[in-house]
Amino acid sequence: MDKMLLGRYINGDSLIHRMDPRAKLFLSFYFIVIVFLCNNWQTYVLMAALVLLFIKLSDISLGFFIKGVRPLIWLILFTVLLQIFFSSGGNVYWQWGPFTVTDRGLLNAVFVFCRFVLIIFMSTLLTLTTTPIEISDGLESLLKPLTKIKVPVYEIALMLSIALRFVPTLMDETTKIMNAQRARGVNFGEGSLIKQIKSVIPLLIPLFVSSFNRAEDLATAMEARGYHGGEGRTKYRKQEWKQNDTIGVILFIVLTAALIFLRS
Amino acid sequence: MSIHIEKLNYVYQSGTPFSHRALTDVSLDIADNTYTAIIGHTGSGKSTLLQHLNGLLKPTSGSLTVENNKITAETKNKELNDLRRHVGFVFQFPEAQLFEETVLKDIAFAPKNFGKSDEEAEQIAVKMAKLVGLPDSVLQKSPFELSGGQMRRVAIAGVLAMEPQILVLDEPTAGLDPKGRLEMMEMFDRLHKEQHLTIILVTHQMNDVANYADHVIVMEKGRVIADSQPAEIFSDPEWLKAHHLGLPQTTAFAAKLQQQGVPFKTLPLTEAQLAAQLADMMNEQGGGLRG
Ligand SMILES: Nc1ncnc2c1ncn2[C@@H]1O[C@H](COP(=O)(O)OP(=O)(O)OP(=O)(O)O)[C@@H](O)[C@H]1O
Ligand SMILES: [Mg+2]
Repeated sequence: MDKMLLGRYINGDSLIHRMDPRAKLFLSFYFIVIVFLCNNWQTYVLMAALVLLFIKLSDISLGFFIKGVRPLIWLILFTVLLQIFFSSGGNVYWQWGPFTVTDRGLLNAVFVFCRFVLIIFMSTLLTLTTTPIEISDGLESLLKPLTKIKVPVYEIALMLSIALRFVPTLMDETTKIMNAQRARGVNFGEGSLIKQIKSVIPLLIPLFVSSFNRAEDLATAMEARGYHGGEGRTKYRKQEWKQNDTIGVILFIVLTAALIFLRS
Repeated sequence: MSIHIEKLNYVYQSGTPFSHRALTDVSLDIADNTYTAIIGHTGSGKSTLLQHLNGLLKPTSGSLTVENNKITAETKNKELNDLRRHVGFVFQFPEAQLFEETVLKDIAFAPKNFGKSDEEAEQIAVKMAKLVGLPDSVLQKSPFELSGGQMRRVAIAGVLAMEPQILVLDEPTAGLDPKGRLEMMEMFDRLHKEQHLTIILVTHQMNDVANYADHVIVMEKGRVIADSQPAEIFSDPEWLKAHHLGLPQTTAFAAKLQQQGVPFKTLPLTEAQLAAQLADMMNEQGGGLRG
């Protein structure tokens, strides 16, 4: 649990840290879309260069990003293996029943791997340089137009920021309760399946109880301080569109043009 | 059961970018049947050290020996079970661990895990409920209907029900009212004196250290910076202050008297000691102090 990197913020004051969260959010989503424009070496190299440039600008060591890939490594390997064994076309190197390994398949596997890594690096960059609160504020203001069609954007954003706020708390709580029950003789993740399922009860019940208590306390505290829905609430943190945000957007426009030009 | 810790180091999330060294070269001995207090500024590594005592954490390097169980970085998780049976651990805010339908079942949970039959476990549970001062009327209630102080007692009874030889307490009275706190500390003291439990207590209450402990360990930034008796630790108010620690109320009071010229031989730790010393002085001076 401690090793989960996605979603952990690292304090800093780099060019990337100082970008407007709205710009970062939007560009990250946009990046994920245009990664799918890549279909040959030139385009992937271009994207990789861009990601490395951003990582360099963020002043966060590459190690953090590589660690971020780790939780998803099985998913990546699975997809890569699918590509290797089940694509058709090109020179066949090896064949056995439904499995075929072709040069096209191998190339696709490499591309799929790169695509995963690029997307993970970019989203890790977003979460490492942007606090959860900034992210949910950013989302709120990006989604604001949807209030016109009665989407409860404020409430969704509030729920999101409360949820994000309590992820670390809940993780700490889980560790604490697991330790307490271990000290009382529970062995988590050992023994027969039934035993393992049973061992979850002494963990889940206290977690639910404390979450409900916490939720109730929080609701009371919010009402006591005059919360009555999101409409018209002002914000403590101002979001400011700055020059480097504009530069970022221009960079991405140029990038898109270059991708369209380079792709085959 | 005695505890021997040698050159213990612990690093949280070792091998990740977030790695954090919490204990550095900790070496200490805790004798059988003693009452040890561990004090230190917040974040000094007290809880981390405690969690080694029943194998919730394993040393990154160095070793820890409880009676004949030696724990090192290589020790398998399975081997820790034996240790856990002998070391009862009361966490900070232990009421968070309650989960059963009834108080009785919750107290009986640990003995059942350690292989006692249902009847045996219930007998122990009834006994422990009495020991921590829970009335019989609550035994069949849900633990979640009780008051905070009662829940705390249920949780502590649940740990005592393992019948441990070593009892580890991490700030067990945090958040209790003064009366509840006193009752609880008196209860631990009784367990220590009557059942000969070895007690290891982490606390920020210097009064408790002065009143109950016979061995004090002071930690700072993950290191042990002092290891001696309460009388010695509290004889140097300047040193304590330099390490963000206070004096017991009585000792602080006596230190003030000393500044006013009352000649204490050693600073008293408890009210009884203060009274005795003052009485001695009065006798020597033939009641001259009064004037
Ligand atoms: N799960 C964890 N992951 C990473 N670091 C941790 C973890 N738990 C504690 N630490 C760090 O280890 C150090 C020692 O923490 P510990 O909880 O042992 O302190 P403590 O002496 O018990 O403090 P307190 O008096 O506040 O309870 C602290 O700097 C803390 O931030
Ligand atoms: Mg602590």
